[in-house]
Amino acid sequence: MSSLVERTGNTMTLSLGPQHPSSHGVLQVVVEVSGEVIEKADMEIGYLHTGIEKSAENLFWTQASTVIERMDYLSPLSNALCYTLAVEQLLGITDRIPERAQQIRILMCELTRVASHCVWLGTHAIDIGAISNFWYAFDIRENILDLLESAGGARMHPNYLRIGGVNGDLPSGFIELLDALIAKFPGRMRELRTILQNNPIWRDRTIDIGIITPEDAVRWSLTGPTLRASGVAYDVRKAFPYSGYQNYDFDVPTRTEGDAYARFLVRLDEMDEAMRIVDQVRKALKPGPVMIDDTKLAAPPKETIALSMEALIHHFKIVSEGFRVPPGDVYQAVEGPRGELGYYLVSDGNNRPYRVRTRPPSLYNLQALKQIAIGNLIADVVVMIGSLDPVFGEVDR
Amino acid sequence: MPSPQNPTVGGTALDPTSLRPPIDDAEIERVERDALRDRLVGLRSQGMAMLLDVGAADYPQREPRFDVVYHLLAIPTKVASVAEVGKPRRVRLLVGVPADDTTLPSVADLWASADWAEREIFDLFGITFTGHPNLRRIQMPDDWEGAPLRKDYPLRGPAREKTPRPAFPLKSNVPAGTPPSGKVAEALQRQIAKARNQEKPS
Repeated sequence: MSSLVERTGNTMTLSLGPQHPSSHGVLQVVVEVSGEVIEKADMEIGYLHTGIEKSAENLFWTQASTVIERMDYLSPLSNALCYTLAVEQLLGITDRIPERAQQIRILMCELTRVASHCVWLGTHAIDIGAISNFWYAFDIRENILDLLESAGGARMHPNYLRIGGVNGDLPSGFIELLDALIAKFPGRMRELRTILQNNPIWRDRTIDIGIITPEDAVRWSLTGPTLRASGVAYDVRKAFPYSGYQNYDFDVPTRTEGDAYARFLVRLDEMDEAMRIVDQVRKALKPGPVMIDDTKLAAPPKETIALSMEALIHHFKIVSEGFRVPPGDVYQAVEGPRGELGYYLVSDGNNRPYRVRTRPPSLYNLQALKQIAIGNLIADVVVMIGSLDPVFGEVDR
Repeated sequence: MPSPQNPTVGGTALDPTSLRPPIDDAEIERVERDALRDRLVGLRSQGMAMLLDVGAADYPQREPRFDVVYHLLAIPTKVASVAEVGKPRRVRLLVGVPADDTTLPSVADLWASADWAEREIFDLFGITFTGHPNLRRIQMPDDWEGAPLRKDYPLRGPAREKTPRPAFPLKSNVPAGTPPSGKVAEALQRQIAKARNQEKPS
């Protein structure tokens, strides 16, 4: 763009962003407007491109998950889980992951789903002018981040999942914190719903804004809550269950309106469903190992190193050169908070991934703005971006 | 005997689909470039309504050098419940692209979502999609040179040039060897002298 505003005939070209508080990152939306009505919208992305796929190809299989967690930085564990499952498929150890490790993985991923939706809800509402619910949403998120920190050691990018299991069992005190969260959650959700769901201003701003029909949703490859708000109940957890999701009872919330309000309701219902899964997992948690019993993949416990020569050798090998993965390619998908998150991995039999291709749900969801913005007002662009919930770490990678 | 510890192939000449362990993740097909569009149209008419993703991979020692990978999903294009969606069929279509003619027909007219996906492959792999409405770089800056995700593209660029020196001389205007001056320096000198005197054996 040569300038921020251009006039041609009856329309005016206006550039929103790339530095704009409502874009939650760096997104430039170039809209052609006639009066206040959008006639054409195009987007410029890539401001946050950091070459994560290229970096991952130059790290060991285990190390790569550290950069992969940084793609969708609001739900790092979904990314890590998807990548980990894909590598486990290539290694052929999917059936050998301990039960407890799988339960902890589901628990953590559902908690991150809630935490991610909390960020979406808080910021989406702030964009529209409702400030107070931000604090309620971030209070839940804070509790969840405390849980992540206690288990994984870091709040944002715990890098807790490992190929073959998880990095260490849940710490003491975790279950108590989790129980407190489970007990507190329904009340908090009621409060969040009270603030927004029947709020006349909120309804005015979101109902009939950015309508997506099921045909369009499929044509634009939308997945996740965005697709389900248009009526297509496709959920990877139900269609292609992984990590034992088939053992838990949960519903797939859908709406048929396909507007910003429907997407809002679907995500709120999803938070309830996610906590339902967390509750079930918490009750089903059984003691046991949390890492695969295979010293070629999992470093032996630190205590054994001083006692066993074998353990020392395995430890040294895994730390210094990682492990090798049989050649081949695999596509693995999980249901991330934003939709079908997929990894297409290629291994050439070496200790580093040959190719790591992400299927970023945010990129495809955001792309649909080109169509749904048309005919809406400029003021509603922020509503539509917020309702698509893009994360730019993942869009740009 | 090939094993994880003893791979049989050199990385860059790899055909991953011929070597893969038996994993049930999708139906895999390899098509020729000329037949690509017909096959995609055919699959779409069979209900593979969603183009989930288009990705690419680079195998420099192999002919054809690039693989472009289309991930398709059979999903209803109307309001459908979980039971109606069921377990949708997944198809993975791989098409080889030779190094000397890196073009492919675009499918942006069949699936709206292919727009950005193809632009990204053009940007990061340098594969041109003929018939694409708006083929330009998407992630990298418009004036970037090279295709970053190719295997012959280095992970790090050349060492960054040193910050240009300012035009004026950077030499100190105090000649070398000049004893420090000022109150702080004097105090420092006194302390040093005192310490030296104390060190002396009495």
